[in-house]
Amino acid sequence: MGGEFNLRRKPGARPRIVLSYPDAYEVGISNPGLQILYELVNDRTPAAAERAYCPLPDMADLMRARGVRLWALESAAPVAECDLWGFTLPHELAFTNVLEMLDLAGVPLHAAERGEEDPVVMGGGPAVADPWPLAAFFDAFFIGEVEGHMAAIVEALGAPSRAARLGRLAAVPGVWLPHAAAQGPVERQVFTEFSRTPPVERPLVPLVEAVHDRVVIEVMRGCTAGCRFCQAGMWYRPVRERPVDMVVEAAARALAATGYDEVSLVSLSSCDYSGIDEAVRRIRALRPGIRVSLPSLRIDSAASSLAGFAAEQRGSVTLAPEAGTQALRERLNKRVDERQFDEAVRAVFSGGFTGLKLYFMIGLPEETDDDVLGIPAMAAAAARRAKEIARGRARLSVSVSSYVPKPHTPFELEPFAGEDALRRRQALLRTAMPRHVRLSLHHLESSLVEATLARGGPGSDHLVEDAWRRGARFDGWTEHFDEAAWRGAAAAAGLALGEPGGDEAPWGAAGEGAPWRAAVDARVSPGFLEEERRRAAALAATEDCRDGACVACGVCGAGVEMEVLA
Amino acid sequence: MRTWLVSFARRGPARYLSHLDTLRAVQRTFARAGVPLELSEGMRPKPRLSLPLPLPVGAAAEDELAVARVGDSAPEARRGLAALRAAAPAGLEVSALRESPRRVRPQPLRARYRCEVRGDAAAVAAAARGIEEGGPAHVVRRGPKGTKTVDLRESVGDVSCRALPGGARLEFEVRYDAGAAARPQEVVEFIADTAGIEPVLHRLRRVEVVFAEKGRARRAPERRSTAT
Repeated sequence: MGGEFNLRRKPGARPRIVLSYPDAYEVGISNPGLQILYELVNDRTPAAAERAYCPLPDMADLMRARGVRLWALESAAPVAECDLWGFTLPHELAFTNVLEMLDLAGVPLHAAERGEEDPVVMGGGPAVADPWPLAAFFDAFFIGEVEGHMAAIVEALGAPSRAARLGRLAAVPGVWLPHAAAQGPVERQVFTEFSRTPPVERPLVPLVEAVHDRVVIEVMRGCTAGCRFCQAGMWYRPVRERPVDMVVEAAARALAATGYDEVSLVSLSSCDYSGIDEAVRRIRALRPGIRVSLPSLRIDSAASSLAGFAAEQRGSVTLAPEAGTQALRERLNKRVDERQFDEAVRAVFSGGFTGLKLYFMIGLPEETDDDVLGIPAMAAAAARRAKEIARGRARLSVSVSSYVPKPHTPFELEPFAGEDALRRRQALLRTAMPRHVRLSLHHLESSLVEATLARGGPGSDHLVEDAWRRGARFDGWTEHFDEAAWRGAAAAAGLALGEPGGDEAPWGAAGEGAPWRAAVDARVSPGFLEEERRRAAALAATEDCRDGACVACGVCGAGVEMEVLA
Repeated sequence: MRTWLVSFARRGPARYLSHLDTLRAVQRTFARAGVPLELSEGMRPKPRLSLPLPLPVGAAAEDELAVARVGDSAPEARRGLAALRAAAPAGLEVSALRESPRRVRPQPLRARYRCEVRGDAAAVAAAARGIEEGGPAHVVRRGPKGTKTVDLRESVGDVSCRALPGGARLEFEVRYDAGAAARPQEVVEFIADTAGIEPVLHRLRRVEVVFAEKGRARRAPERRSTAT
């Protein structure tokens, strides 16, 4: 770890900020959000940004046994001595790792116990859509996209005392202080200069194998496809696209700076990026042997997207129908019919791709056993095409995760399916899935934890702390997941795992009492969410606003607007 | 055909890289320097780049060798050296570059290692002498394909021991042209077992490697060499 290509060292620079992704190095180094902040702070502010990741349990045990405190990779100085410790919080299953890192660093777990010498601990990222499960451990949260406010945060850290620093941070738009009296919901910040700001051009390149090992160029932020289950689709609105010239120039610079020979054009839905064909063609032409990859394909446009791939790149493709029947997909606003699915599958196998992975969810609102059985039926149809076209040379796999309702989505008030129902539906899938299709089911107990924390209210931080004290950490890793710790902590809190954590309080029929709304204004209006929930019940489609009329989600206005290439 | 013989040191956090990670870091250094590597032929072309003697994880090294076949558009050696130096990550320090107009396949003949152990220096010295002067020094190597017994005396020689506060510095040579070569960790474990000390080595460093190039020996200097 450490010693990467493009590492920045700024000895003596102040303030000293440590950026952390609360997972193992191999996972965290691949996170594009942290790379953005690392480049932004180091190259465009006087501050120094360093990094620390969560040591795996065997290393953590050794560090505790030998009294070694968590250090930053750039300076090898203790993390505890920095001015600001910023965490990117990707999902609920990383929460106990935050406590693990605070403890390993020797920083008091609770914000209330921190003194003048301790860093300000700040959280950001998509999981702060509901910050309550971590409220006790953070001094501040940043709600939304921080790029436009980083300079103000750096400036606030120059205040002479801890109280003054927190006071100045409170004045920065998007900052929510969980321990400040009478603070209302904070509006999610949108980086309005996104399309005029180049992507990361000098990313850190790990010397050890990482989860993602390639140049990552963010071509677009936001997605307005309107899938009703998708938190990212609501959280990152509106759509903003970067010009193709900027994308290609950034790719050229990043390739030269990294030594990579692969570029991934990322966004929530890269096939919807208006300049995708031109960007792929021009990046490939930069030098021989450059490969371009897209993280996901839309089923309704897969055939044309796949045609652009060079023969040597034809490996595996993932398609995400999400649900097994047309009616349930309509409820989700996932406008894919069986004909489009069949065309996409044919395109995959006719195009010479050697693998197809289908991604589904179970536990969706109003889901029936017939909906669940639709998944093996679609897999069987795809398997027939594989046999017919690829003649047994292609692999087919199906991945099924358990749906967890998330805040600030049209399904935010829907009940979680629960352990018994999910276990029964997983068994149904195992029985009905064609034998030659590889079935992969998401770890159920992890989903229960996710469901408990995703909509946790005030007091749910006690549950996180109790679980961590009982040994929970790396909850997203099946081999490290400690079911007994979580069940014990939930029982002590009087909960069944899967029920939303925290002090019990009614959410109200329209979600007016939902705890996440007391902390976060995601800019998506409650009226829009309610209307979308009603339309889901009626199986009514909502158009993508980039293709038609405004759907009045409430995000645009006051300088925030959709920016799509002409 | 142009072959580059690149000498480099591995220090700091880079000493914890595996052989494959080191190889990948050197490959990326070439790419960042804008030096095209020749590719192998076949379905999945790979850059023609090799590190003839893998380094153990955790070992620093003073003078390692990378052998690369470079494309015709590669710069001349002096400019290539400067570009590689500028492009290398912290911990991989490029010290010299020699170009050969023919295909070169250096074979490692012997390497010299230095490390430190904690414990009674006199016992360590006696155990170290035992490798050269005693009976067979067998270690058992266990792998996925079964076990294999290696006699350290066949490949380890010139063992010396110097007392340090709380321990000792060991230095030994491993020959690579005499069958199964000993691994540095195996040498230390054998000595530790004989001396009754903890089998933990500190500051392992490969200080010198001698290669043969088509029958001609190339002795790498112990210290960082200057540009050629």
